[in-house]
Amino acid sequence: MSAPRTPRDELAEATAHGGLYLRRLIRRQLGLSVLTLVAFGGFLGSLPLALYLLPGLQDVDVLGVPLPLLAIVVPPFPVFVAFGWLYARRAQALEQEFRELVEPDG
Amino acid sequence: MIALAAILAVTGATVGLGVYGVRIARTTSDLFVASRAVTPWWNAAAISGEYLSAASFLGIAGLQMKIGSGALWLPLGFTAGYLALLLFVAAPLRRFGAYTISDFAEARLRSPRLRALSACIVLLIGGFYLVPQLKGAGLTLGEVVGAPYWVGVVAVGAVVALNVALGGMRGITYVQAFQYWLKTFAIALPACLLLLHLGGLPERSAMFGAEYPRAPAGGLTVTLDEPVLATFPEAATVTVDGRAVRAGAGAEVRLPAGTVELPAGVAVPVAEGTDAQRGTDWAAPVSDTGDASPLFVYSLLIATFLGTMGLPHILVRFYTNRDGPAARRTTVRVLGLLGAFYAFPAVYGALGRVLTPELYLTGETDTVVLRLPEAAWPGLGGELLGALVAAGAFAAFMSTASGLLVSLAGTVTHDFRRDATRGAPARRRRFQAAALGAMVVPALLALVARELDISVLVGWAFALAASTFCPLLLLGIWWDRLTARGAAAGLVVGATVATAAIFTGLVLEPGGRSVEALLTQPAVVSVPLAFATMALVSVAGRPVRRPPDPELLALHAPEGLGLDDPARA
Repeated sequence: MSAPRTPRDELAEATAHGGLYLRRLIRRQLGLSVLTLVAFGGFLGSLPLALYLLPGLQDVDVLGVPLPLLAIVVPPFPVFVAFGWLYARRAQALEQEFRELVEPDG
Repeated sequence: MIALAAILAVTGATVGLGVYGVRIARTTSDLFVASRAVTPWWNAAAISGEYLSAASFLGIAGLQMKIGSGALWLPLGFTAGYLALLLFVAAPLRRFGAYTISDFAEARLRSPRLRALSACIVLLIGGFYLVPQLKGAGLTLGEVVGAPYWVGVVAVGAVVALNVALGGMRGITYVQAFQYWLKTFAIALPACLLLLHLGGLPERSAMFGAEYPRAPAGGLTVTLDEPVLATFPEAATVTVDGRAVRAGAGAEVRLPAGTVELPAGVAVPVAEGTDAQRGTDWAAPVSDTGDASPLFVYSLLIATFLGTMGLPHILVRFYTNRDGPAARRTTVRVLGLLGAFYAFPAVYGALGRVLTPELYLTGETDTVVLRLPEAAWPGLGGELLGALVAAGAFAAFMSTASGLLVSLAGTVTHDFRRDATRGAPARRRRFQAAALGAMVVPALLALVARELDISVLVGWAFALAASTFCPLLLLGIWWDRLTARGAAAGLVVGATVATAAIFTGLVLEPGGRSVEALLTQPAVVSVPLAFATMALVSVAGRPVRRPPDPELLALHAPEGLGLDDPARA
């Protein structure tokens, strides 16, 4: 009857304490997402600027194609996948930590 | 004839897969979200197949040929939109356990009226997105087999409506996945074979050098179906129906409908709305002015980045994932699949500049993907590849239209009326009726609105989605103080501002490029406005609720803890 209350119970019964656990998870997830967004925005956002500020790249040919043209057709997409994959892995790890906190024995 | 056979084969396969799907579609849950048991790879292929519409298959290469390599920022933005989805929306939305975006709006904010408002916006976005798909289908069928415009509209409309009505989402998932691979194959194989056949890129001066596109050795004969106001980049003498016409450099000449002959080596004149560009300017992804100016590029990237997230027919797919982590895995795969597809349209845009320069004069650069194979490879090889490309284009219309129709029919049956008391068969009949009914209005509009610009309609749908559902989702998922009143106010403001800007742009046709960019891509302005409205009205209207909201728990608590029973309990 008087079993000790676990964080899980607190969450399920929506007590103030449970709210703290949840808020912490949300904040950490949001922090991860915003960090990834900033890094990604830095990558994609700097591409037009770099190509604009370095017009000399237009004269560099790779496989018979000007480098700036090739640079926006092929390389960004693998980088997109890399960002997504790293983010998904980290988000998964955060959830695992939350799970262990809420159900230490589970 | 080969092209027609290929199109019929694609249609047959689509219907076949839809019929196969109906055997499994038993419950409403099956119909709407395929019982949530679709694996990440299937789901990712289906999402990509649904997303790659006519605009991606035909539009990017056409736009690149027309305005230059600045058009290649479009696929980057289209794909980047899925990263935004992954970071902020995919997993929480799947965990929340609602069928549609209207479900989310109602359950998260406990407001049936918000559900109705969201449903109206879904219908608007979906309907306006459906019209250009049908219109594109009509034009493509006309281009490939010479059929009248209405044949393509009616044929694609009927096939898609029947397929959705019979198969529901379960069938559609397989159909969409199939169509992703078909589209990628259909754009990649001809691109590779053409490059092999030509022995690499042809003479490069018109593509990347100092030259304008020129008539090939032996001259160029172009048939104009209607008069064209053509601009001559260089002085030239051309023959129009046997009569010599002389034009100075930069001259605008109205060429009547008929046959125009360009002698070998003459710089090809361009139709109204196109700027003649030398290869070096054409190849630069960013330049000082015009469609590749930094302002335009950034505006485009932001609009596509945010617009993708707000598309209702894409979001509904995330409910078919097994759980939150599966939704994330699916989205990462989507990034890869889209990237694989988007490597190829640029090949057509570049080759088209040299091999089909007549499209600059006719103004039909949108058809470059369809025309290129036969122009580059006269004979059976080109004809076969042309048929493959036509089949891919048809798959593009059908897959996007199917996804939109599922979304529309689901909204009509599910969001406007509560029918929990009725049985599953009755609900299925209503879904089927809605699928047929929801196709009628856009098809009629597509028949009437032949003159309306496809890009205007698509841009409107993107901007509207970015200005309404994007802030609703981001704030609803991540901000516990959002209220129903705030959300409703933001939806109305975002939709109104986006719509008003676009129609102002349509009516005024302002000359300045930056003004035009802002009016035709108003997301940069309307999205922040919608965010601000939602936040301010929410903060002003109601004190903070006691923590934690059960809705937030449902959005963010990992699976397997017995906590993920959402607010509806």
